[in-house]
Amino acid sequence: MAEPTDDTGVRVRVRGRELSLAISEEHAVRLKSLAERIVREPFTKRPWAELAFFLVSGGLAGLGLAFVGATMVTGVVLAITFFGLAVLALSVRSARGIGGWQRGLARAMLGESVEDPEPFAGRRGFLGWLQSSLRDRVGWRAVAYLAIKVPWTFLGVLVAVSLWWDAFACLIRPLAGPGGGGPQVWGLAGSIFPGSSFWFQSSGFFHEVGIFILGAVFLFAAPWVMRGFVNVDRLLVRNLLGPDPMATRVRTLEQARTQTVDASAATLRRIERDLHDGTQAQLVALAMRLGMAKEKLEDTDRVDLDRVRELVEEAHRGAKEAIAELRDIARGIHPPALDIGLEGALATLAARSAVPTEISLDLRSRPTPAIEAIAYFCVAELLANVAQHAQASRASVSCAQQGTWLRLVVRDDGRGGAELSRVGSSSSGLTGLTDRVHAVDGRLHLVSPPGGPTVVTVDLPLSA
Amino acid sequence: MVGALRVAIAEDSAILRDGLVQLLVDRGFAITGAVGDPEALRSSVAQNPPDVAVIDIRMPPTFTDEGLRLALDLRSRHEGLGILLFSQYIETRYAAELLADDAAGIGYLLKDRVADVSDFVEALERVAIGGTALDPEVVTQLLGATRRTDTLSVLTPREREVLALMAEGRSNAAIASALVVSEGAVEKHVANIFAKLNLPVSENDHRRVLAVLRFLES
Repeated sequence: MAEPTDDTGVRVRVRGRELSLAISEEHAVRLKSLAERIVREPFTKRPWAELAFFLVSGGLAGLGLAFVGATMVTGVVLAITFFGLAVLALSVRSARGIGGWQRGLARAMLGESVEDPEPFAGRRGFLGWLQSSLRDRVGWRAVAYLAIKVPWTFLGVLVAVSLWWDAFACLIRPLAGPGGGGPQVWGLAGSIFPGSSFWFQSSGFFHEVGIFILGAVFLFAAPWVMRGFVNVDRLLVRNLLGPDPMATRVRTLEQARTQTVDASAATLRRIERDLHDGTQAQLVALAMRLGMAKEKLEDTDRVDLDRVRELVEEAHRGAKEAIAELRDIARGIHPPALDIGLEGALATLAARSAVPTEISLDLRSRPTPAIEAIAYFCVAELLANVAQHAQASRASVSCAQQGTWLRLVVRDDGRGGAELSRVGSSSSGLTGLTDRVHAVDGRLHLVSPPGGPTVVTVDLPLSA
Repeated sequence: MVGALRVAIAEDSAILRDGLVQLLVDRGFAITGAVGDPEALRSSVAQNPPDVAVIDIRMPPTFTDEGLRLALDLRSRHEGLGILLFSQYIETRYAAELLADDAAGIGYLLKDRVADVSDFVEALERVAIGGTALDPEVVTQLLGATRRTDTLSVLTPREREVLALMAEGRSNAAIASALVVSEGAVEKHVANIFAKLNLPVSENDHRRVLAVLRFLES
């Protein structure tokens, strides 16, 4: 037989055989571990914690719903009076509090990691408090939680808790000796075998063994049925007692807006600095040289023509430098290349890059101008980083549309080791880019192990 | 002039610093130091004291008002040292702070003024010998910022022009040549201004500036 690495066909075949063997072995291992788990499960902590949670939180939710329901009905009945509204507000506020306890129970007993919702922000004055309370989304969501949770608990007690009970009822039945006695079964087992059925009434060795086996089956099934109920409860806690998705969204947007404002302020500051230190200084020096030249020419008695020529030459050079600097600054504000579209602009960037750069473009629809600008500056900044820090010999840029997203990937074969925090010492570094990208709900991902290669992936929505 | 006036320069833009050195050497000044940050100027002035220091306001490390702090510090350490602050922008607050106790030997000019080489050199010389040189822009801002525009309305347009030039730190002779009138006419205007605005009469040029500014600031 050929060496597996020599011939692809052989390797595949050989592998295929090994693979099929591996799968059946794997199956056996899996089945074994599943069986072990089922047998062990009733004797671990988790199902008991879940059972305890279901009973405790269910009981408290029942009390909570009774209180909230009673106050709410009272409030609605009295709603025509001011007092009714106050009772209603109190009801919503207490639902929020009860929701908090439920959340605490889920955390303590189930280890559920659900965040606190935004704290209640009451406005000034009694009327303000009333209004904020009645419009408290967190409170109303807690009401909804209680309203779903309580019937769910009833169902759970009937199906899952009863299963636990029946398991033990059946298991200890044989101990009670022939002729009955011991706890009665109810719930599922009770409905399958009505209370007076011969299974439980008649005695006899086989019956006792049968009941014991049934109890064992119940014992091993109960944790899983219970878990199903508790998992639904977890979902309820996460979705109704956690932070309001709308409020979270608003907070994210607020953060993004702050970042945008900061980023544009930083950009303006950078432009001002560039103008101040660069162009303005250039122009002042230029005016100074021309002023000197002018005064030398006015001194008609003895014009030092050589000196004047020198001054004019310096001024001429300064003017050209100022023009070049101004052009760079203007390009930093809005790259003119973008007017012809992102593809052309990126191609220009790649062509101008100090490191040989390959570019691949796959855009079907044109992104909005804001996204085009961010994409352009990302690539410009990343290529500048490659040239400055990476010691790379080649780089590549790919820009592809994926659904409603634009994915930019800039890759280099340099020494790697780039970090978001360290490289971003200036506002124009990687951190600045991250801010820009986040501002439009985009993502920037950096992979740069020491020794390279560095791959930066930027995902931007096509429109923002 | 007994010997060349000695000038120290603190300016972080190399282009401008070199240009200034070139211009001042060309005009017969002696450069005691041309540096790019406040600390360097401090040690330069301590080692080789100049008659006047030309200081950029925005310098490292924070690029805000390092030059102004430096100027105030140098003033308190070296008596009689002239300071010419040099900036791309005019900030009235800086002018007020700088002129707070004494306008003698103080100048505050826009960088653009170097383009008119003679005016610039003249202003520098004035500051070096204890006079005052305020940028017309500073004066305009101070005139504009003052809430006493009502009071200023008692002045004739000509008197306002004279007031502005006076505030820049110019002598009567200089004002006369700027406005193309006789020195006698200027003296008459000045006397009228002092009378109308209740300013104390004074001979020294920078005292006049101080009086004008005090009046405008109040």
